[in-house]
Amino acid sequence: MTELLAPNPEFATVAPVERLDAAAAALRGNGIEALVVGSGAEARQAVLDRLPDGAEVFNNTSRTLETIGIAEDIERSGRYRAVRLELYQMDREMQKREMRKLAAAPDHVVGSVHALTEGGSLIIASASGSQLGPIASGAGRVILVVGGQKLVPDLETGLRRVREYCYPLENERALGTYGVPSGVNNVLVVNRVLSPGRVTAILVREPLGF
Amino acid sequence: MFDYDSRPVTPSVVLIGSRASVDAYAIRDFLTRNGRPYDWVDADEQPPGEDARLPLVTLPNGARLEGATVETVAAGLGMIAAPRLSEYDLTIVGAGPAGLAAAVYGASEGLRTVVVEAVAPGGQAGTTSMIENYLGFPGGISGSQLASRATTQAEQFGAEILLARPVVGLDFAGGRFLTRLSDGTRITARALISATGVEWRRLDLPGVDRMLGAGVYYGAGPSEAPGCRGAHVVIVGGGNSAGQACMRFSRYAGQVTLLVRGPSLAASMSQYLLDKLATTENIEVRCGTQVVGVEGDAHLEAIRVASRGGTEETVRASALFICIGGVPRTKPVQALPLVQDSSGYFVTGTELASGGMPEGWPLARQPLPLETNLPGLFAAGDVRSGSIKRCAAATGEGAMAVALVHRYLAETGGD
Repeated sequence: MTELLAPNPEFATVAPVERLDAAAAALRGNGIEALVVGSGAEARQAVLDRLPDGAEVFNNTSRTLETIGIAEDIERSGRYRAVRLELYQMDREMQKREMRKLAAAPDHVVGSVHALTEGGSLIIASASGSQLGPIASGAGRVILVVGGQKLVPDLETGLRRVREYCYPLENERALGTYGVPSGVNNVLVVNRVLSPGRVTAILVREPLGF
Repeated sequence: MFDYDSRPVTPSVVLIGSRASVDAYAIRDFLTRNGRPYDWVDADEQPPGEDARLPLVTLPNGARLEGATVETVAAGLGMIAAPRLSEYDLTIVGAGPAGLAAAVYGASEGLRTVVVEAVAPGGQAGTTSMIENYLGFPGGISGSQLASRATTQAEQFGAEILLARPVVGLDFAGGRFLTRLSDGTRITARALISATGVEWRRLDLPGVDRMLGAGVYYGAGPSEAPGCRGAHVVIVGGGNSAGQACMRFSRYAGQVTLLVRGPSLAASMSQYLLDKLATTENIEVRCGTQVVGVEGDAHLEAIRVASRGGTEETVRASALFICIGGVPRTKPVQALPLVQDSSGYFVTGTELASGGMPEGWPLARQPLPLETNLPGLFAAGDVRSGSIKRCAAATGEGAMAVALVHRYLAETGGD
């Protein structure tokens, strides 16, 4: 049986607003649209404001998105072409290629990150890696909702946050939900975005997700 | 891609039932064909541990439906929408390829269009695992995906699609078609297209009806494929539907046997499917054979197969999929006196009267192509006498029918 690790509480505290504002400014300097909002509800509205009706949207597996209701908005409101619902309808054996292509290049991706550095870098880890390609370049637009506890001083601390805080919580979730352990198998670091407006980071002044 | 990457993250429907339950199968089939995510719990393997009437369905909002039916699940999921308008230009009965094409063209060309469908979009084609010769999809497209995309497209143009309620009545009076649905919904329209398609021809053998949904299925049974892993699956039929079912189940089952009554498949199946059947290792094609009986208590266990020479054998199998062609699905619009051919398909256009006017025809002009003997009521797709039974032909007829509806509406004023 897999031993569950306790998450390091050092990474659970929401950063002060001035540090979040400074991180948002750093993100903008790196080509990432950034805004700071006060609550999950405001973050939800900010995401919805950026998704046109009928848009093709892939919502990443994310406790943050589930918590603020965006996952439900995307999958169940009927306002969007939810990529997850399309994938669900496809035959796992007959349509592997189409499934891979659809998931790799959606028009919109909505997700979260595991750490944000004060210098404006985003760190995202993934067990399967499926989330990372679309965020790096496959998706037309990327909207990331970032709980205020995810701000860290630098990349090194960010990677430590992934290992010591996110991984234990995600591992417990994966075991409970899928019956398989998670793993820090793939890590994406976004230092700069070359296409202006392609990536948006919505920083929230409250703790959200892992 | 991992399976959990391609499932919704919000709660799904949970369906608990016995694999031998016809009602549970009907719900599985309904949810699958409508693309509604669900988790299936086999009560025989994981008893619910409570005195609940099965099938037991838990909806995403937490509501529990004991003794659930397709109707209660559809209602619980909010799939029962009321028509938004008091009158439409066009009612389309049936949301298969012909009906959905008519909806897309009707709505996109400004007709107030409503589609009524008894079960789910897609019709017979909607259960096809992969259509590889449909124009514009070189990698193939599944029937459910084609239906899902067409539904989205039709709705984007403003068509309304009312699901999960069969038509129980149809009248024509005062230049209007009045369609009544099973839940009492009434729809008025100036023209009507019957795109009701075909339903599977029944296999008239003892025991088949008793095991429907419990190992015996009509069509490709898309909801059942994952449950057939490693099993022996038997498919009956010689057409493309049977061939496509073979290809689907070959990916899941240990062995697939195709039973064909005729001496060969060459005349009845597309060449690309013949090629695939021939090169797929776990598919066996047995021509000159037919099913003569099914065996099993609660669930199918074996099939009795007779060969042309009269030899009979028992073949163990856990699933039998019957794809032996279709019979026209005319019941929804049969309340009106429409002319049918000897096989029951609706007769249209010049076929109604060679060179003259059909009996009782009220207009000075001859019936338009695809128009039945009742002006303003058109038939498109598989339900029409003489139609080519192919998905692309059905979509073509659906689009064509809309152009003819425009001509009819122009004659009657107000187009």
